[in-house]
This record gives sequence, structure tokens and C-alpha cells, in this order.
Amino acid sequence: MADVPDFLDLDRHRDLRGFGFARRPRQLILLLIVAVLVLGLFNVFGQRPQHIYVNAPQAQLELYAPSHLRGGLLYEARFTITARKDIGNAVLVFSPGWNEGQQMNTLEPAPLGQGSRNGDMILTFGHIPSGHKYRFFVQFQVNPTNVGRRRADVALYDGGAKLATIHRTLTFYP
Amino acid sequence: MDIVLRGIVIFFFLYVIMRVIGRRELSTLEPFDLILLVILGDAVQQGLTQDDYSLTGAFLAIGTIAVLQVAVSYMNFHFPRLRPILDGEPIIVVQDGKPIEKNLKRERITLEDLAAAARRQNIAQLEDVRWAVLETSGTVSFIKKSDA
Repeated sequence: MADVPDFLDLDRHRDLRGFGFARRPRQLILLLIVAVLVLGLFNVFGQRPQHIYVNAPQAQLELYAPSHLRGGLLYEARFTITARKDIGNAVLVFSPGWNEGQQMNTLEPAPLGQGSRNGDMILTFGHIPSGHKYRFFVQFQVNPTNVGRRRADVALYDGGAKLATIHRTLTFYP
Repeated sequence: MDIVLRGIVIFFFLYVIMRVIGRRELSTLEPFDLILLVILGDAVQQGLTQDDYSLTGAFLAIGTIAVLQVAVSYMNFHFPRLRPILDGEPIIVVQDGKPIEKNLKRERITLEDLAAAARRQNIAQLEDVRWAVLETSGTVSFIKKSDA
């Protein structure tokens, strides 16, 4: 086979024998990529929101927000307080994970007051009569450099008395 | 630091993707492929610099990719055993006018694709071809019987 082009070997480049022609590694990498895409479809990388409810004799606290997020994403968290009994002064207490590495863009409706308690952010909403619902929306944006997991608990208080707590972890993907 | 890390991850992800998707996709540049190229560029940019509009950020991103490209070329040149992984190897797809079905199938190239590639090199009949080689770039080189 004198006329085989230079640097080509029939055994290797026609019959595809040898290092580099194995199909298995290529198929495995493709499979891995497909697996990651499937995980994405199943909301592993966010940002589909979930409902979380916590019931207490005095009130129900509901949170509708995603718990898996990616850098740069805009998302909304919706809090619903359903008063079963009169709440004299409803207060939501947010652990620092809600604010760290995230921007809180808007709070609707604006709370009556804002403050800090033992390093947690507190928002005050005032009186919620028995049988009433109070809905509160917060728009966030994740800072692109925010990666990892953070505690993002939220607790409902009536003044100084804790009524209900939602325990959750936020996961931020790069 | 973040941009440099992102640059490294994106470079290697793109490198692996380009090696895995095969040469058929690399060789064609139909209108749809051009659109995909623009979308790919946009997606890469978003992931790479995100909301960083600074000149420093652009320097870091471009510099990272340039240095990695040089590093890959260096390895390709100095370590021949890595070439099949980094660049792939040419594959003979026609010998003596006869298409090698197994190799065409492996690279998802139809006979019509092959004939079209031949026509682009002013070859009307595949039987006039002594060798056709699918190069690592995704193009097909033809050596006619009369040239061999």
C-alpha cells in the first residue's frame, strides 16, 4: 500500500484499531451530559418554587419560593400568613441566609417596620385579624458570586412570641 | 478570581463537548448552525462574565481562554500520545472509490453528505476517489485516483 497518504495507517485510520477510537468514553461523556440535563428538568438546579406550610394553633405560615437557585437569577418569594386567631403584631424574622449574597429588590406591600434581632432581619406587619390572610411578596436577585448552601429560615412571631418557623436551606449553583 | 475559574470551566466544558459531538457537526456551517453558534456564544458569555461589564473582567476572561488554548496546543505538540484525545485522528472514509460504511456510520455521515463534499472539490463521482479522509477539523479531503 505505497499510495496510502502520509501519516495514515490503514489498520488505525481505516479499520479504527487503537487508542482514540474507543466509542465508550464518548458515549459515557454524552450520557453524563444527558444525565445533568435530566436533573435540570427535575428542578435539581432550580428555580421552580415549592410550597412550604407550617401550621400552628394561632396561624398558618406559607412560603412559596424556590430553594435551588443559580447566580444572577431573579426570583420571587411569597409569604402568606393566615390568622386563625387575632395576631396583635405580626413579625417575620429572616435568618441571614435570606440576605447574604442576594439582593432584596422590592417588598410588596411595604412592611410597617424593619429591624434586626440577634443578627436576623425582622419585618413588622402589625395587626392581622382572625380569619384574615396577609400576603407579602419579596423580589430577589442572586449575586453571581454567591455559591453554596445557606440556612434561610423564616419565623412568624406575634410580637415577641414565636408562632411558627419554616426551616429551609437555599442552594446556590454557580 | 471568579472569572478566571469560570473561564477554565467553560473552556474545558466546550472542549469536551466539541470532542464528543463529533466531526460531522463541526464541519457543517449551514444557516441553522450559524444561529446555533450565535446562541452558544451568547450563553457562554452570560456564564463567563455575567453582570461584569468591566475592562478588567474582559481581560481576565479573554486572557484565561487564550492561555488555555496555548496550553492545549503545547500539549498537543509536545505529547504525541495526547493528540488522539485532544485533537482526534483522521478517518479514512473512501478507499478506491468505495465508501467505508462502518466509518461513515461512526461519524454519522451519509453518502449524500459525502457526495456533496466531493462535488465541492469538483469531483462528480465517488468512484473517481482513491482516498477520502475525514480530517480532525471535520472537513473531508479527497485524493483522486488520477492524483494518487
